[in-house]
Amino acid sequence: MLAFLGRRLLQSVPLLVVISILAFLLIHAAPGGPLAVYLSNPNVRPEDIARLSRALGLDRPLWAQYWSWLTAFAKGDWGYSFSDGRPVADWLADRLPATIELVGVALVGAITITFVTGILSAVRRGKPFDRVTGAVAVAGISLPAFWFGLLLQIVFSVGLGWLPSSGRTVVGGGDLVDHLQHLVMPATVLAVVQAASWSRYLRSSMIDALGRPYTMAARARGLPPHRVVLRHALRNAVSPLIALVMVDAALLASGAVVTESVFAWPGLGSLFTDSLARRDYSVLMALLMLSSVAIVVFNVLADVLHALVDPRVLLGLGSLGSSGDAA
Amino acid sequence: MRRASTAVAIGGLIVVAAAGCHRRSAIGAPSNDLLIVGYDREPDTLNRFSTHILEDIQTCVVEGLTTTDERMNVIPLLAVRVPTLENGDVRLRPDGGMDVTWTLRPGVKWHDGVPFTSADVKFTVEALNNPSYKPESTDGFDRISGVDTPDPLTAVVHYKEIYAPYDIQFIRGAFPKHILEGRDIDRAQDYNRNPLGTGPYRVAEWRAGEYILLERVPHYWMGDEYPRIRRLLFKFVANTNTRINQLKSGEVHVVALVPWDKYRELGGLPSVVVHKTPGNAYEHVTLNERQFPPFADVRVRRALVMALDRELYTKTILDGLAPVADGPIQPISWAYTNQVTRYSFDPVRARALLDEAGWHVGPGGIRQRDGRPLSFTLMTQAGYTIRENVAQAIERQLRDIGVDVRVELHDGTAISAIWFEGHFEAMLHWWQLPSDPELTTFFASDRIPPAGRNINYFQDAELTKLLYASDRTVDREARKQFLKRAEAILSEQVPEIPLYTVTRLDALPASLEHFRGNPTNTGIFWNVYEWNIK
Amino acid sequence: MTPSLKFLPLAVLASLLGAAIVAPLLAPYPPERLDLVHRREPPSTAHVLGTDDLGRDVFARTLAGARVSLAVGLLSACVAGVSGILIGGVAGYSGGVLDAVLMRATDAMLAIPRLPLLMIAGAILQPSISVLVVLIGLVCWMETARVVRAEFLTLRTQGFVENARAAGAGHARIIFAHLLPNAAQTVIVSMTLAVARGILIESALSFFGVGVRPPQASWGNMLYQAQAVLSTEPWLVLAPGLFILATTLSVNMAGERLAHARLE
Repeated sequence: MLAFLGRRLLQSVPLLVVISILAFLLIHAAPGGPLAVYLSNPNVRPEDIARLSRALGLDRPLWAQYWSWLTAFAKGDWGYSFSDGRPVADWLADRLPATIELVGVALVGAITITFVTGILSAVRRGKPFDRVTGAVAVAGISLPAFWFGLLLQIVFSVGLGWLPSSGRTVVGGGDLVDHLQHLVMPATVLAVVQAASWSRYLRSSMIDALGRPYTMAARARGLPPHRVVLRHALRNAVSPLIALVMVDAALLASGAVVTESVFAWPGLGSLFTDSLARRDYSVLMALLMLSSVAIVVFNVLADVLHALVDPRVLLGLGSLGSSGDAA
Repeated sequence: MRRASTAVAIGGLIVVAAAGCHRRSAIGAPSNDLLIVGYDREPDTLNRFSTHILEDIQTCVVEGLTTTDERMNVIPLLAVRVPTLENGDVRLRPDGGMDVTWTLRPGVKWHDGVPFTSADVKFTVEALNNPSYKPESTDGFDRISGVDTPDPLTAVVHYKEIYAPYDIQFIRGAFPKHILEGRDIDRAQDYNRNPLGTGPYRVAEWRAGEYILLERVPHYWMGDEYPRIRRLLFKFVANTNTRINQLKSGEVHVVALVPWDKYRELGGLPSVVVHKTPGNAYEHVTLNERQFPPFADVRVRRALVMALDRELYTKTILDGLAPVADGPIQPISWAYTNQVTRYSFDPVRARALLDEAGWHVGPGGIRQRDGRPLSFTLMTQAGYTIRENVAQAIERQLRDIGVDVRVELHDGTAISAIWFEGHFEAMLHWWQLPSDPELTTFFASDRIPPAGRNINYFQDAELTKLLYASDRTVDREARKQFLKRAEAILSEQVPEIPLYTVTRLDALPASLEHFRGNPTNTGIFWNVYEWNIK
Repeated sequence: MTPSLKFLPLAVLASLLGAAIVAPLLAPYPPERLDLVHRREPPSTAHVLGTDDLGRDVFARTLAGARVSLAVGLLSACVAGVSGILIGGVAGYSGGVLDAVLMRATDAMLAIPRLPLLMIAGAILQPSISVLVVLIGLVCWMETARVVRAEFLTLRTQGFVENARAAGAGHARIIFAHLLPNAAQTVIVSMTLAVARGILIESALSFFGVGVRPPQASWGNMLYQAQAVLSTEPWLVLAPGLFILATTLSVNMAGERLAHARLE
């Protein structure tokens, strides 16, 4: 197992290097540089621009910039933001808690919905509950997440006035209820979109598990039905789902860019859109790398979990796919 | 199972309803205890010299020797008076340079109790001219050869040449020498995140991504009763619509620079008043002659101007709030003249002019000459609804006279890089002009990028002469004459299509008194110390 | 499902496609026609779905948007499908090092968050519709590649390859004439899902202003413009969003039917 883990992690390193090169080239293909922000100001003269460019190392050849960025990154030095000179790590640390909070709550919600609807629709297969949740789930996969967010805003903020339309807290930190009020809509959007695909996955693997001999054996032994479902069938159905959740969880975090933007949630997602507008290369690179690292790590963990369940995976028959992207 | 799911559903509804009822108690109405400002972005730094964009928050903390008021007059702040030739504080030297004497107000202290002296002014000049510091601009400072400080309240600034905007040289104030001496200012995060100033407020908290909270200082030099508002909170809300929505719901109390298409929405709110201040900025369509040679023909330019119904735009898209502009100098400036050529909406004449210039309508309705179509790209900034709408309206009206326009939207930062490098044909753009009407950088022949901002690449010898003449004298009457003739040339030659004068709209609580709008970069907080909420 | 409902998704899709194709004939006004005097009007007899911020007819723009969104969805799915088949097919067929390398490349692409990457690309490149199609296709092939590879591996264990090799077929022939047809169903399902994904991605990109740009209409950029007037003209948000939902829903449901077609 350790050899497997080691091999997978080692395989990930060139992966990340390739990702970083790709991201670096893309970001630097931009017609604006990080100094573009200053160019619109009539008081800034070209000598100033040149001076700033030299000071930030932007006049060196591209590969030189990349190399210094990469070596620093590997050593844990993620550089300084081009806009205010603050260490990039500080920016990330400031915004990370908000994203973790949003994604965490959304995950809890998604998992809850997944389990409730996945199990119930498997048990009541073919019945109205199953049909309805099935339809809703397909709708959930087809839903543009940003539109869902807009609709919620129209109904609950503009229309009913029950919930604040955006932000994380009211000024100066509110109480718990206020916090929850801000959290509920963005978390719902994320949770619903994810739960839609997960619950269907769980449903089919539950149906599969319910049809297995060990389930029928458990029933034959006279165990009460909910015990059969929960203890026996579910335990077997759940492990591939857990692996899938881990893979999708990372996608969830990066896909939160859209939701954070619509709801002005001050997390890494909105940091991404802000940095994109400012062409703040250091922050953008760090964000892309961070999410890619997260996804890679989760992928490996998912493989490990899968291997624990099904040792054949150790022979290298490939890793899991994901169920879709959060948009 | 079924009962369980029903229970969950009912429970959920109860929670949401309860949450709804609980609303609004945590956010109060504006009061002298707390005023919340919806701000359009988080500043990178609060160091006024490191970035000149967005100085509203800094203005409350760090004061300048002078500032500009609601009529764009330069008034003294930390200085006792504005140096002029008349009062003897400005002396022209025989070698072509000048000396400006600043007399500082006595009794002003930094917030940590250390007195504010001329040594701080001298230190600031040296810091800005130090190559190791990367301020946004050293304009003007690089023309200072040295500063003498004969006593703690007097600073004599020696300029190598005559520099017309000397009176706003220190509008951003000074660095505290006792805090920043000998340090790498770019990395001095304690100062950049929480600058030491002399103003009515200081930074109490900066919660990244969310807000900056300012609190009043106990002994402001203008008087202990100022400022009246105890705390100012600047909440970062990037999305304009979200910001306006929060204003409507009471989550924020103040929003600066309200877009014109939101004016009506806010008009019906009893608790909000929208103040209109004629601005010192204007929007225009830049015509890059170098990149698109047909623009070099003045007949083509005039035709383009006459094809656009600018009055209709301001009436509809701008809701009548921003009047049509005729040139870069706005009515609010002392250098403004209305003796300029005006082109009215006349598509018939526009077509005639294009025909005369040799551009005849070809297949598909687009004009061409020598096989080349009259077709260009119009760029503008994405994310600004009004600008996007104007661009599209322009596209349609130019198509009506046979000119093909492709609209391209770019991010704000990309836009700056694009015009700086000159890789564009036409751009829907705006300039916020400094309070001093120095137009050289925009229209002088030798100030095309990267030497300046003549992004029309316009070449006119007489205009250039006039503009430089205006810069090189501090005699206001003489400057007025030069600029008057310059404006006449500009309006007649239309190197760019002026569209409209930006009217500042600022939304404030109806209960707030002593607000005085400000059309310059100084922003609306220039007199925040006297604001009072009834 | 009752028999009539079974064909609902296909019916919806067909009508949307049909409307998109004949859009210029159906539209009461040209979608780009401005009418500055009649901005932001609610639905009326003159304008069935009202007018937008520049006085353009929303219904006409919705139809024009259908053309763009459907085209982008279908074409990007083709790009994704072809790339996926090539990569997954070669990987599944060859095995060994080539398989490992291709699968690691697939993993690499899957590890990059799709939407942020495309947002950066969209902001930088200002893509035309064709470039947009290619860009979206380039981030959507991975699912198809994995599916094709898995199918080929299964087919290999079932002896398809040996049989064909024994009959003297070359590599390309084996892949395209023997393996691929057997994997057809899964591939088609995968490409169907890619259509829905492509439409959603294009909408999201246009919504952020980095996809299809005005004055050209796309459902996504109509929502981008509608967001600005959310509190005063909320109806502008409904039409484009409902159309996106209807389209992707029908496509996904059709994909579902296809997936279960022979298993029921």
